[in-house]
Amino acid sequence: MDMTDLDDVPGADEPLGGTDLALLARVAELSERVDPVPEGLVERSCFAMTLAGLESEVMDLMVLEVPAGSVRGDASPLETRTITFTHERLTVMIALSPGNLPGTVRVDGWLAPTGALPIVLRRPDGDLSTTADDDGRFVLEDVPRGLASLLVEQDDVPITTPVIEL
Amino acid sequence: MGGPGGRRGAHCAALGSWAAVGSSGAPDHEDARREMTSPPETESLGDRAAAALLGYRVGRTEAMSEFVREATPLLWRTVRAQGVAREVADDVVQQTWTALVGHAETISEPKATLKWLLVTARRAAWEAVRKGRADEVRRTELPDDDADASGMLPDPSPGPEAEVLQDERDRLLWGALRELPDRCQELLRLVSLADRPDYRSISAAIGMPIGSIGATRGRCLAKLRAVLTEQGETSWT
Repeated sequence: MDMTDLDDVPGADEPLGGTDLALLARVAELSERVDPVPEGLVERSCFAMTLAGLESEVMDLMVLEVPAGSVRGDASPLETRTITFTHERLTVMIALSPGNLPGTVRVDGWLAPTGALPIVLRRPDGDLSTTADDDGRFVLEDVPRGLASLLVEQDDVPITTPVIEL
Repeated sequence: MGGPGGRRGAHCAALGSWAAVGSSGAPDHEDARREMTSPPETESLGDRAAAALLGYRVGRTEAMSEFVREATPLLWRTVRAQGVAREVADDVVQQTWTALVGHAETISEPKATLKWLLVTARRAAWEAVRKGRADEVRRTELPDDDADASGMLPDPSPGPEAEVLQDERDRLLWGALRELPDRCQELLRLVSLADRPDYRSISAAIGMPIGSIGATRGRCLAKLRAVLTEQGETSWT
């Protein structure tokens, strides 16, 4: 069916009534069940807006080795996850594993091309900083779980990742 | 689960402590203040979007936080309707909200904020689909990598509906919805999340002829009812 099949649908000009609204409510409910809005997307969006004041370029996320059927917000917190972010100037891969302290995460990261670049992990509670080594590796230990975005200082314009849930 | 929890609310409110856009000397400062202090004009999502933007410009972000919470599902549906995979759609929605921050000062008609968001989300989604296809082409050009390539395709359908729609009536409605043209499906999914006065701006944002929906049922909804009637499903609600 295309749009031209809809030119003369009987009832199209009738006023929207209670039955229509109830039908729409069911459409909303079924859509949410079939394709739920990921948990935490509102919070990631708010944090991304908060960080947006900073002049930076945002990387794309590339899906790699994320447990099947999950979105970041849904992933089991105890599993090791690997996420890759791509940008025309830089690729960042991070592996997330449980930290030494309860409720924390260890972040192992690799930059390509390699470079000893300053790294900032931006969190709602504050930033954590480190520097990649000459091979482009960096580690952030015992990072509290929650929302985070990585910022890599490169050239004049820093590059940031989308907000993810650690 | 899934409802607005305390922790999340607290976090979204943190938007307030960070946002520092807008100059207090802006000419629309007084308008914004009036908008924010008068009893909220909540008859439509579009009105709440306008109030949120005006407040945000003068550093008052409570309304924006609330609007983000309310409108994120709408953006999610918009992006998913363009065929963007779930994982990528998450970023496209974030990106759309980020773009609103970047354009907060330049959106000339606050009443058009909702439409602006929907148009921006659609364009960003198309861009993501285009990039995804380009990546896919590059990937399949590598001889060793073709076995898993299909797993990286954005899934065009919204999900394993058979598993979650056990109820026969739900399946009939979903089936009827899926018989409509794509843009009709998109329109109905979006308006189902908004208020009646928003129908016009939503239909405009997704390129449906203006006037086709509004105070009236509109062609898409009428068609959905017709399909359901054909299937003998009359107890719609």
